[in-house]
Amino acid sequence: MRRLAVGLVTIGLLLGLAAPAHAAGTQDYAPVVIVHQEHLAAGPYELTVGFSTWPVRAQQSLDFTFEPAGGIDRFTGTLVVVSPAGEEENLRRPPGVDGLPRHPRQPAAWGLDVFALDEPGDWTFTFGLDGPLGPATATLTVPVSEQPGPPLGLSWLISTVPLFVIAGVLAVAVARGGRQPVRTR
Amino acid sequence: MIDRPWVPAWILLLGSASTLVGLGWDLQWHSDVGPDTFYTLPHLFIYAGAAVSGLVSLAVVLAATGATRSGRVVDPAVGGRRVAVFGVFQAPVGYLVSGVGSALFLLYGLWDEWWHGLYGFDAVIASPPHVGLLTSVMLAMLGSVMTCAAAAGQRWAGPALVASVAILLGFSMVVLVAIPDTSDIDERTVTVALLSMAALACVASFTGGLRPVVAMAATLLLVQVALALFSPWATRLYAASEGLPLRDYTNGLPRMALLMPAALLLGVAGLALARRARSSVLGGVLGGAALAATFPWQALLLGGAVQPPQQPVITIAVGAFLGAVGGALGDRLGAALRLLGPARTREVV
Repeated sequence: MRRLAVGLVTIGLLLGLAAPAHAAGTQDYAPVVIVHQEHLAAGPYELTVGFSTWPVRAQQSLDFTFEPAGGIDRFTGTLVVVSPAGEEENLRRPPGVDGLPRHPRQPAAWGLDVFALDEPGDWTFTFGLDGPLGPATATLTVPVSEQPGPPLGLSWLISTVPLFVIAGVLAVAVARGGRQPVRTR
Repeated sequence: MIDRPWVPAWILLLGSASTLVGLGWDLQWHSDVGPDTFYTLPHLFIYAGAAVSGLVSLAVVLAATGATRSGRVVDPAVGGRRVAVFGVFQAPVGYLVSGVGSALFLLYGLWDEWWHGLYGFDAVIASPPHVGLLTSVMLAMLGSVMTCAAAAGQRWAGPALVASVAILLGFSMVVLVAIPDTSDIDERTVTVALLSMAALACVASFTGGLRPVVAMAATLLLVQVALALFSPWATRLYAASEGLPLRDYTNGLPRMALLMPAALLLGVAGLALARRARSSVLGGVLGGAALAATFPWQALLLGGAVQPPQQPVITIAVGAFLGAVGGALGDRLGAALRLLGPARTREVV
């Protein structure tokens, strides 16, 4: 048993030491690769919307970039995204904030990184730009098709097995515990 | 190992703690930074915790099986009563539960990898594979609670049980991110009332005293404070070391710590007030109402934006009702945990 304990500790140490080293050597975050662009006219300005995946599918994460001609330094921008059901997305911003965030891995542009649109249907992106020639708005409709992979119902059925196991264990425990005498406190 | 029940039980607890730290860090990473790979440090904490839990569970089951075959007596303080598995193995029930949880975690890890191939980086926490992963961990943590309960009466078992329930309750709060906030009552808040009162009443019922319940609430508060300090700091540090900037509009608030009930001691107070009536249901009502009244406001403590429920009175009423349900269930769960250990009459923790 002592050897077993030593073995377990050794494995743990190896994991603890080897994996960070491996992680440090192999981190490879995907660069922002735009495979599709939409060009919008927002009043006197031009705005290019880039997508790292096209066509967009529901719940599949991708990177969006939003680049006004002349660069984001000349503008302030806002974005309101509304789902096909008519609900506004908060885009990871605090409540009441609608400013455009910079794309973390492409900070010269605004954007959304690792972002997914939940539902299939037509999503509405409404941009507000305020620059040297005054404020202007533009709207883009982004069609989103059904989510990839197996039907969500099947995925959830597969994924909730441990939940049912927990429910079963707890149900047995509650039934058995109910047969115990009340403890005097 | 099976000659000293505290060794595998504490290793299992260590695995659970590692997974909890990893989850807190990983949630923060996905909130503040975003892209990841399988080989990130937060993932390492999560997966190493599950691996340690799985390996120690397997080791105990094999050792108990070997001991039984060679005619030796296996102390039931090692994980509780033994259960025959496949007619071959003799598995102490606590380690069987933790081992099954860890094995399921491995399977859902593979399912998650496949899922990422289809869906890309994690954009949401509440994806089907994540629910499988997280509930597998909860099952393993439940096994950890059982292994501590089975050793009731041994000096180490009291603190271990308190820590194991605190870790399980703290980790379970991750379910809040999967609960839609769609109606007038605050579903997340009433879920907190249910789970918290179940855990508190379970410890009260198992130990027959309130001191361990206070200790459990205080332990979770410590964990919460530690995660609140650690997760945002570690995320910033790790992102800088990887050359990744933080997202705009990141507020640095600790995601996981904010999900845990900071006023859990009010739930204990509810149980204490109802003690004379010897009613865990009444204690659950009082504690559940107090937790439901305070949970939506705890973000104020950390400078976060508070979103009070649209119907605070109804939310508190539902919190009281679910607190009562939690109290009743926890009472029975505590009684069931007593079945795992040796018969005894005095307070054990």
